[in-house]
Amino acid sequence: MSKTEDASLEKQEQNIGKVEDVVKKSELVLEKEMSIDGSREITITSLKYNPSNPNSKPEFVDYKLRETPGMTLYIALTKIKATLDNDLSSDFVCRAGICGACGMLVNGRPQLACKTLTSDFESGKIELLPLPTFKLIKDLSVDTGTWMKNMSLRVNSWIVSKEKTDISKIEKPVEPKVADEVFELDRCIECGICVASCSTAIMREDFVGAVGLNRVARFQIDPHDTRTDEDFYEIIGDDDGIFGCMSLLACEDHCPKNLSLQSKIAYMRRKMVNV
Amino acid sequence: MSKTNINENIVESLIGTTIEKKKSRIPARLDFLQSATGLFLAVFMIFHMLFVSSILISKDFMLSVTKAFELSFLFEGGSTIPVFIAISVVFAVFIFHAFLALRKFPINYRQFLRLKTHSNLMKHSDTNLWIVQITTGFALFFLGSIHLYTMLTNSGNIGPYASADRVYSDYMWMLYILLLIAVEFHGAIGLYRLSVKWGWFDSGDAKESRRRLKRVKMIMTVVMLLLGAMTLIAYMKIGYEHQANYGERYTLSSNIGDK
Amino acid sequence: MDIRYTDALIIGGGLAGLRSAIATTSKGLDTIVLSLVPVKRSHSAAAQGGMQASLGNTIMSEGDNEDVHFADTVKGSDWGCDQEVARMFVNTAPKAIRELASWGVPWTRIGKGDRDVVINTKKTTITEKDEAHGLINARDFGGTKKWRTCYTSDATGHTMLYAVANEAMRRGVVIEDKKEAISLIVEDGRCYGAIVRDLKNGGLIAYVAKGTMLATGGYGRIYKQSTNATICKGTGHAIALEAGAYMGNMEAVQFHPTPIVPSGILLTEGCRGDGGVLRDKDGYRFMPDYEPEKKDLASRDVVSRRMLEHIRKGKGVPSPYGDHLWLDISILGREHIEKNLRDVQEISKTFNGIDPADEGEKGWMPVLPMQHYSMGGIRVTPKGESVNIKGLFSAGEAACWDLHGFNRLGGNSVSEAVVSGMIIGDYFADFCSEHEINIDTKVVEKALKKQDDYLNELLAMEGDENIYDIKDEMRNIMQENVGIFRNGKDLDYAVKRLSELLVKSKNITITNKHRLLNPQLEEAYKVPMMLKVALCVAKGARERTESRGAHYREDYPKRDDVNWLKRTISYWANEDDIEPTLQYEELDIMKMEMPPAFRGYGKKGNTIENPLSQKRQDEIDKIKEANKDSNRYEIQDAIMPYELQDEYKKVNERIGVAQ
Repeated sequence: MSKTEDASLEKQEQNIGKVEDVVKKSELVLEKEMSIDGSREITITSLKYNPSNPNSKPEFVDYKLRETPGMTLYIALTKIKATLDNDLSSDFVCRAGICGACGMLVNGRPQLACKTLTSDFESGKIELLPLPTFKLIKDLSVDTGTWMKNMSLRVNSWIVSKEKTDISKIEKPVEPKVADEVFELDRCIECGICVASCSTAIMREDFVGAVGLNRVARFQIDPHDTRTDEDFYEIIGDDDGIFGCMSLLACEDHCPKNLSLQSKIAYMRRKMVNV
Repeated sequence: MSKTNINENIVESLIGTTIEKKKSRIPARLDFLQSATGLFLAVFMIFHMLFVSSILISKDFMLSVTKAFELSFLFEGGSTIPVFIAISVVFAVFIFHAFLALRKFPINYRQFLRLKTHSNLMKHSDTNLWIVQITTGFALFFLGSIHLYTMLTNSGNIGPYASADRVYSDYMWMLYILLLIAVEFHGAIGLYRLSVKWGWFDSGDAKESRRRLKRVKMIMTVVMLLLGAMTLIAYMKIGYEHQANYGERYTLSSNIGDK
Repeated sequence: MDIRYTDALIIGGGLAGLRSAIATTSKGLDTIVLSLVPVKRSHSAAAQGGMQASLGNTIMSEGDNEDVHFADTVKGSDWGCDQEVARMFVNTAPKAIRELASWGVPWTRIGKGDRDVVINTKKTTITEKDEAHGLINARDFGGTKKWRTCYTSDATGHTMLYAVANEAMRRGVVIEDKKEAISLIVEDGRCYGAIVRDLKNGGLIAYVAKGTMLATGGYGRIYKQSTNATICKGTGHAIALEAGAYMGNMEAVQFHPTPIVPSGILLTEGCRGDGGVLRDKDGYRFMPDYEPEKKDLASRDVVSRRMLEHIRKGKGVPSPYGDHLWLDISILGREHIEKNLRDVQEISKTFNGIDPADEGEKGWMPVLPMQHYSMGGIRVTPKGESVNIKGLFSAGEAACWDLHGFNRLGGNSVSEAVVSGMIIGDYFADFCSEHEINIDTKVVEKALKKQDDYLNELLAMEGDENIYDIKDEMRNIMQENVGIFRNGKDLDYAVKRLSELLVKSKNITITNKHRLLNPQLEEAYKVPMMLKVALCVAKGARERTESRGAHYREDYPKRDDVNWLKRTISYWANEDDIEPTLQYEELDIMKMEMPPAFRGYGKKGNTIENPLSQKRQDEIDKIKEANKDSNRYEIQDAIMPYELQDEYKKVNERIGVAQ
């Protein structure tokens, strides 16, 4: 470490030098922690299949690895990909339960892998499958993007307004309570877990899903949107829309954002039946 | 060039919308009717159970309930026509409900396979309940039809002995055991489903409301099954004791005292 | 060969890219947005706390306006920013918020009358004006004079991204996801599009366009510990570098004070903005001792450094993952947390099993500063065009537009993303309208073939190196040697070792030999890209012998306005070079509206002053004196005129303020 002429800063500088050591030390401890003896071995089983490769055949592959404290499926799969199988594909983006990219079936239940702790599985056996209802890209990676884009286009997932906004003028006031209600429904992250949980969607691929019905409810209560219930009926008033829903509510039970899908779908059903 | 009146249905089936380029309101009606017919049948089944189980109190009581349905308080001895009409209505609603419910069934191998795998993998209680629902619903197509047809053609033969003979001597008990199980599961689950579907009894906390509804549903299934089983046993017992006098009709004990 | 033509090509589907796409489509241009992931999963969604815009609606932001926002931004940047850009930005930000409101962002709104807030750990009641009822609310954030950060609970980026993506779809923007640009098509200093890999089947496609924009976000993943999403690898910067484009201030990397330990998931600044505080192992709130004025809410670079300084005094909380500090929001009360900091609560519960609403120590969350934001990026003009490649634009975090200088203020990132999308997007649209695609198909085919050959070459390699090991080492080097505290020796090591790793990356083996969706192949072409970006950061940091904003040199702890009031420009002079070439772009004090001075937080007297600063200040005082009868817009114009679209230059209306 080179020295400056300024002697008064020297002490402070040394102090900071030690900070760097603290950070380095924490790295070392972290590494050590990773190899603690006595941590259990877990087995992760994954479907492997590459539909774009004609020679690929679906298979289930077991990966055995040491569990580390606080290990999520994101951490486990990253480790598997770097050390055990360079060819395993899965989708992770934010790894914090915010972006909705990593939905998969974990021991049969659709959930976000990044928010799933391996320690939640007492048996130490975790079976991973790609989300059903979406096109399989490879292994655990599915094409939720295309599905969600089509859904958004189909339900006109945007504000439709006859009013013109002058953006240099004071914004239109909104009751705080109403804004909060819209926000509640706007929290959907399009992870597709509701769709993969849905018995209607499993059988009928044109079903709009809880994500689509929730989106319509979101715009229905938004004061900026001037569409009427008749307009919304044109979007979801059929058996591929609200009337296809059988209210089995696996969507509500599995939603990682705890959206009130049950109430909102019921609300839309009442509205649409009365149009 | 002249214009012929166009058939609305042809337009909708080809274009997907009505002539005004609007979506048909029929799906909304059908969805509503599926729920409405279901609700009607479920409520009917609850009362039906209460009436038939009147045998548990006494034969006299059961007979007077029957006679009340035959409108004996209006004309002497009653008439089977009101009963016939009532059964006909229920039968019609039953068929219509089955027709509407069919829209939701898996209809080919792939759908069936996917649904089955889905429910096996997911182990989600409401989804499994629906599997129960379609299984019992499917069974009811036949069990319910047989029962309803039998009653339609025997609308005069309802009474402590007549019914008991049917259960025991006519071997209907086998059908009734299955019918009882199918109906009680199907009805209770159906009522629960209706409540969450339309948001009834939603106290603001939907999850909590659903937990409560599910408990009510469970209790209802158990109570109705017990009641049904006891009633069936009661008829079996009467039928067994009465087998020698098959065909004889029960009359009120306060009358001439046929014992 | 698969060649597709369009008017405007935008690479990156976050807030900046999508907002730019709206700008181009609204000028009638066919627009394609390419994105690594479905656009609504872009990292913009992870911005929790809010977006800065001087609406001045809440009572706590009374008196706020563009001037105050401007001053905060310039101070925050430690005078490293382009002040004209900062002016463009602050004047457009309120319009951006209002536009987003009309597109459906459910901004948290103000309720008139009393409400309880926590200020300086004390519950305080504030009274909102009647005329503010229903208008957009704001919360407090680090380094700002007023409460200026507009928000939707703590999912602000998410709601913004969804609103902008939805609006883009409404306007017919063509969005293609799972597409990765792996090189730019550049001929004679002009960019004509990109060579793109389809991540759904592994195929290569050439996209040819009148104009190309990179809105690919930051490069945080070159660090071992980062709050950034896994996709923030800086490959957008790398393809620009490989095309010869200049990068600006790549060494300016921000570390956020409060990611949770050990997962590195961010806990928003809104935690402290709403009244949460940092505590040490004794439960003592230490920040007021270091920063008496702004306390826990000094700018991020300052708070991060103070935290590590405090840990070094032995006040850190020991844990298997090293020492950390506590973030305490339990004092805000359960109701507030469950309404306004719900995602924070969810993250803490899920990943650490801690409910931050639990009272006292039980609810404290372990935090430690980690890499968070890249101030540096593709060096562009105020109109957003690359300074040395025509037809190549950049906006958002990917660009060095230069709004943030050496430290970005919390809440200015999503704000910049949208605002730059509006401003740069519009200039970009003009460029696309005024230019034609006049490139020989042969050039495109050659560019496509080059990438095709390169991928085959990678697959054919039979070297001894493992690409995953190289990546790990790079990320460790960046973490340990190019982190919060930097010094010449470590930086020198970093530059040398990263160069070696770059050489090694050409001597690897890929075990799976297929071209289709091969994750190992993807690593093989991405890691060298990341190394180039890392080298720009490390070398820029090594050469900058001063401390400014987030760039802190232990061996040069002072901000040096005499020698270092300049922007680092790094670029790849020759394809085979193993490190970047550096040059510098001077900042002209005599043109600044706010000449360099003390920031108001951080250490005092820690600056080597430039005599021009005082000279310029005197000049400004004179201009103010001469124009004292003019309004603030006219005075500003007299001091530092700047160019901006008429629509965005309009006066922003505020409640209780005469126009």
